[in-house]
Amino acid sequence: MRIANVLSALTAAASLSLAGASIALAANGPAAGKTVKIGVIADVTGGAGAYGTSQKNAYDLAAEDLAAGRIDAGGAKIVFDVQDSASDPAQVVNLTQRFTTDGSALLLGPTLSSEAKKADPLAVRAGLTILATSNTAEGITTLGPCVFRNSLAEGQVVPEAVGKAVPRWKVKTAAIIYGDDDQFTKSDFDIFKAALDAQHVAIVDVETFHKKDVDFKAQLTKIAGKKPDLLVVGALQEEGVKIVVQAKALGLRAHVIGGNGLNSPKFIELAGAAADGVVVGAAYYPGNAYGGNRDFVARYKKKYGNAPDQFAAQAYAAAQIAARAIKDGAVTSEQICAAFKRLPLIETVLGPVAFLPTRDVRAASAILQVKGGTFAYFK
Amino acid sequence: MLLQQCANGIFLGAVYALFAIGYTLVFGVLDILNLAHAAIFMAAAFVALWLVGLGAPIVFAIALAIVFAGLLGILLDRVAFAPLRKRNAGTLVPLISSIGAAIVIEGVFRGIFGPDERRFPEGSFVSTQFHFGALTVGALDLIILATALGLMLVLSYVLRATPLGRDIRAVADDRIAAALLGINLERTIALTFFIASALGGAAGILIGLQYNSVSTDMGGRIELKGLAIIILGGMGSVTGAVVGAFVLGLVETLAVAWIGSSYRDAVAFGVMFVLLVLRPQGLLGKRALRAA
Repeated sequence: MRIANVLSALTAAASLSLAGASIALAANGPAAGKTVKIGVIADVTGGAGAYGTSQKNAYDLAAEDLAAGRIDAGGAKIVFDVQDSASDPAQVVNLTQRFTTDGSALLLGPTLSSEAKKADPLAVRAGLTILATSNTAEGITTLGPCVFRNSLAEGQVVPEAVGKAVPRWKVKTAAIIYGDDDQFTKSDFDIFKAALDAQHVAIVDVETFHKKDVDFKAQLTKIAGKKPDLLVVGALQEEGVKIVVQAKALGLRAHVIGGNGLNSPKFIELAGAAADGVVVGAAYYPGNAYGGNRDFVARYKKKYGNAPDQFAAQAYAAAQIAARAIKDGAVTSEQICAAFKRLPLIETVLGPVAFLPTRDVRAASAILQVKGGTFAYFK
Repeated sequence: MLLQQCANGIFLGAVYALFAIGYTLVFGVLDILNLAHAAIFMAAAFVALWLVGLGAPIVFAIALAIVFAGLLGILLDRVAFAPLRKRNAGTLVPLISSIGAAIVIEGVFRGIFGPDERRFPEGSFVSTQFHFGALTVGALDLIILATALGLMLVLSYVLRATPLGRDIRAVADDRIAAALLGINLERTIALTFFIASALGGAAGILIGLQYNSVSTDMGGRIELKGLAIIILGGMGSVTGAVVGAFVLGLVETLAVAWIGSSYRDAVAFGVMFVLLVLRPQGLLGKRALRAA
């Protein structure tokens, strides 16, 4: 395997220097005719199944689009090996182990930040490049020198969302409810707290819950007693839905703001009228006109019957980014890592993206508000 | 504030009670922990959701889904427990077999309905909220509370004062002796499974409506608490399970109100620990079902 990689690297390098002018032919890049295997770990089933399913759908669609030439990989064949980690961290670790030894040149995933923190170090030790598409907690890309992400971190989105919402709603006091047993929601708390502190908003109450809780009335009743102007929800979709529904039922009158966990059409569908007015800091707006997004949304809808959410868009964008690196001749893990580092600003369905020196993504965030059952820009 | 929190605690307790009643019945009769109870709970919610989606009136959908849950319970017994019973496999092997059955049921429903969380269409059931001064109470809260208490009373009556109840108690007490006295063992056990699973199904549907969410892992959320409740209540005691459920609901809620949400589970399970140290047989004593 090692030797094969080195050989292919050599041939790729040779063809780069020799071919020179002929590279201009898009379908005949330096990696033309080569097969690159990409391992994907997604929580297609289990607790985070809603996210992982979106991701799997997006990769299936991307594979079709690569075959049809709608995504240009310079003539190379890209194979996505999508594996279901069933929202089980142990399975994420097993699959990661597997992708480090089966010739995969890139790992996309896993779905949750908490899973990434457990499994990514294995890939890092084995020298496998990782592109996380949905890990938004702090401290993901610092796990290794070739760990990238194309998902805007909560730390990049939340301050902007809070900065917009606080003056708009004249917020003086806020209460936070967050899950204290999940990496993502826990870092939501830290980030929101810092953003609120920066805006001089007084935090009057902090409540916590655990994954899979269904009843939040005790916490919300306590919060209602403090009458905050703003309720911050640091939750994934499943719990987030129940929090906003129960808050409404209890007559809590605060404005509601949330992080990425609430940024999904499914959130609106499940929370119904209670979702109206909720503001989320997001990395993707389905109505944008970048990088083939309109076409992506239309074909995704046609194939799966529902609009793509952020998780689908980020996964599809990862396929676009990987294809670009491969088109430029990167076929081994090492080459892909190097190619990502010098990636120019490229158009994806998320908008123009590139990687920062921290390997986090450079992209614009979208501050959205639920209005009449759909997301719109928050003005 | 305190009034609202007490109401929150009681309604949360009612939700737990609904789940725990059927859970504890199978345990009381067969001495086995049926870990597939949570899967049947989930299955009934999905069947009701599916029927509502087809346009069935909600009450009809609920009734049919409850019958489905009961029948699934009988099937569960035939497949997962009856063969082991014939071989006198003890109590641990059926426990494992019930885990297997739960995985199969969940897998089938995930295959059919997908991993996504679903909800009943808006307005398919009462969603009225009553406001009494500072107190907010949902109509569905009251229905769940009434159902939990009602089922507890009916079930206690059935066990205490009907021929079927006598049979069930006899089987619970001594299976072989009951069979020698002419009680149809398999029929009684099947009926027990039907009743317990139908109750579990009713719980799944009402809880699915209450929290506006039906998903294949919804049973897992409540299973552990249900287990703690039936141990606290006194294994096999229906009334004990209901009392235990209200204790847990209230302690959890008041722990959030007075101590802090981060300590909720620590406080709740700490209180349970103390209660069990003081009364190792559970709140309502050992084998209350047989004595009932």
